[in-house]
Amino acid sequence: MPTVKLFASLRKFAGTKELSIIGATVGGVLLELTRQNPLLGTAILDGGNLRPHVVITLNGRNVIDLNDSVNEQDVIAIFPPIAGGQGE
Amino acid sequence: MSGWSEKVLEIDLGTQTYKTYPLNMEMARLFIGGRGLGARLLWELVGPEVDPLSPENVLIFTNGPLTGTGYQTSNRFSVTTKSPLTGTVLDANSGGFWGMQFKKTGYDVMIVRGKSEKPVWIEIKNGAIAFHDASELWGMRVFALTEKLGQDNNRRNVLCIGPAGENLSRMAAIMNDRERALARGGPGAVMGSKNLKAIVVEGRERPVIEDTDRFKFMLYETRKLLAASPLTSQALPEFGTAVLMNIMNNVGALATRNHQQTQFEGAESISGEELAEKYLVKNSACWACPIGCTRISKTEKVEGEGPEFESAWAFGAQCGIDDLPAIIEANTLCNDLGLDTISVGSTIACAMELSEKGYLDSDLRFGRADMLAPAIEATAHRRDIGADLADGSLRLAAKYHHPELSMSAKGMEMPAYDPRGLQGQGLLYATSNRGGCHMRGNMIGLEVLGLPKLVDRFQVQGKSAFVILSQNSNAAIDSLVICKFTNMGVGDEYFARVLSAVTGVQYATTEMIKVGERVWNLERLYNNREGFTAKDDTLPPRLLNEAPVDGPSQGWVSNLAPMLKEYYRTRGWDENGVPTRKKLVELGLADLA
Repeated sequence: MPTVKLFASLRKFAGTKELSIIGATVGGVLLELTRQNPLLGTAILDGGNLRPHVVITLNGRNVIDLNDSVNEQDVIAIFPPIAGGQGE
Repeated sequence: MSGWSEKVLEIDLGTQTYKTYPLNMEMARLFIGGRGLGARLLWELVGPEVDPLSPENVLIFTNGPLTGTGYQTSNRFSVTTKSPLTGTVLDANSGGFWGMQFKKTGYDVMIVRGKSEKPVWIEIKNGAIAFHDASELWGMRVFALTEKLGQDNNRRNVLCIGPAGENLSRMAAIMNDRERALARGGPGAVMGSKNLKAIVVEGRERPVIEDTDRFKFMLYETRKLLAASPLTSQALPEFGTAVLMNIMNNVGALATRNHQQTQFEGAESISGEELAEKYLVKNSACWACPIGCTRISKTEKVEGEGPEFESAWAFGAQCGIDDLPAIIEANTLCNDLGLDTISVGSTIACAMELSEKGYLDSDLRFGRADMLAPAIEATAHRRDIGADLADGSLRLAAKYHHPELSMSAKGMEMPAYDPRGLQGQGLLYATSNRGGCHMRGNMIGLEVLGLPKLVDRFQVQGKSAFVILSQNSNAAIDSLVICKFTNMGVGDEYFARVLSAVTGVQYATTEMIKVGERVWNLERLYNNREGFTAKDDTLPPRLLNEAPVDGPSQGWVSNLAPMLKEYYRTRGWDENGVPTRKKLVELGLADLA
């Protein structure tokens, strides 16, 4: 099963940093993830769509299309809205 | 005119005298304040014949028309000087409380010239200006000195240098309000070269606001906008800037071991999540800031502000160190000694690589957390290996015949984002007017975080337009001068409305970006006058030629040459990177050509 890594505030919603979730596409994994954990679902989805500024990567590359297929060894990382990098 | 105080204070340390005169208001209208006004004044005051550490260099402290008004994050101020690290124009800005208090003294600008015969500190208190003997304060560290001189956040504020500035480290910061820093490019060394230990301000004057009703409504609107943004209301307050560690590592753009790799196996151990879980005491905020991104962290040895993402990276991934307590302590030590954490961390990393490869005889090795504090102490005091480290990575690496191992642009150490995985960020570093810096513009939002939208981070064609917009926008915000984090909840165009309400001068929404472009071109002219050319718009050879062998950025180098060519053209510069007369006329800079 693909591995899902969670970061920042998402960890407290899921109670873990990492899970294995079944799914054939990034979107499919997300649906199963949020079905298993509705609280996490409210943090990253709004009416079935990704909340603004939520970042998802597949093996370190930003996901543009949730229909991208995934396989057993893939790693999906999910970040809630985060910011920074402008401290002087 | 409201907003500005319309007064300049000019101090001559050689004679310990001062004079005041009216601010040129046409200049103020064109350059606003902060960085822009500082650059315009530096153009007149410091030419190419001036050594940055000579009495002829100046320190120009500037606030802006919004400073001290109570507008959200209107606490910031700038210092402008010729950099002893890079030789370029330098401005650094800082938050906290000092900027607000400086504005209350009734001046927009304070120019410090000359050199005092003996150590001195300056007190500006309710209209009076006094020069005090600082002989007994010389050698004091920042925290103790700040307390001794009577820091009181809302009433009396201390700006000073530590031992690093006294010893002319080219990485020395000017510190204010104990742990805020005008950090980059070595302004602390300029202050040290003048034998100036501290400037303490107390003021009673309040900025005049032209249209108070409109301004109050904008305060209300801005509060709502910042509260509605998940970035400014949740992300920054909850995890601070260090939350970037994991995502930059995830995408393979976290410079590691002096940029030898782009992912760090210990990233999780030094992340914002780890900091929040194990070491965070509480949040803190600058004056008039509702965001509150500052972390107060505590280990068994220290308690203090930070570390910010770049500081945690510099002592962490860049040095191959995953010991967060040691990183927190290194950050606090730099604040107490008055040092720029980014440059110091990257210079230590450079020394580690030089040592591991046998070019430098030292015990510094990647992963040696126990070496951080001794190396920082040595740097601030120019002791032992610190005598070499104190001048920054480029001079260090050049001395040992391997300048290519300095991870710097124009001599300033770059921050955490590896340009091989972020093509636009590389162009930003190469063209930054003060050297390798993420504050002259930032592409992380566009290239990784999707702010405001995602752009392919490996894309080259068309990238220059995004970079230029970011550079111009940042130059405008630095000239207001407010915190760039405000811009994560409030659009650029809104600031023009706030500026108009405060000053009574009507700025069109497009005028702010035009101000930023004007400032950028002026800084470019300054650097060109200093002898910088297109050849200096480059990156270390490692980033141009050595692709990462694994991770999400595997196989990529910075594809700088085509981006630069496009950048010059989009900027309206010639092929040598020189602003054309047509561009300068368009920006109202024709008299400087």
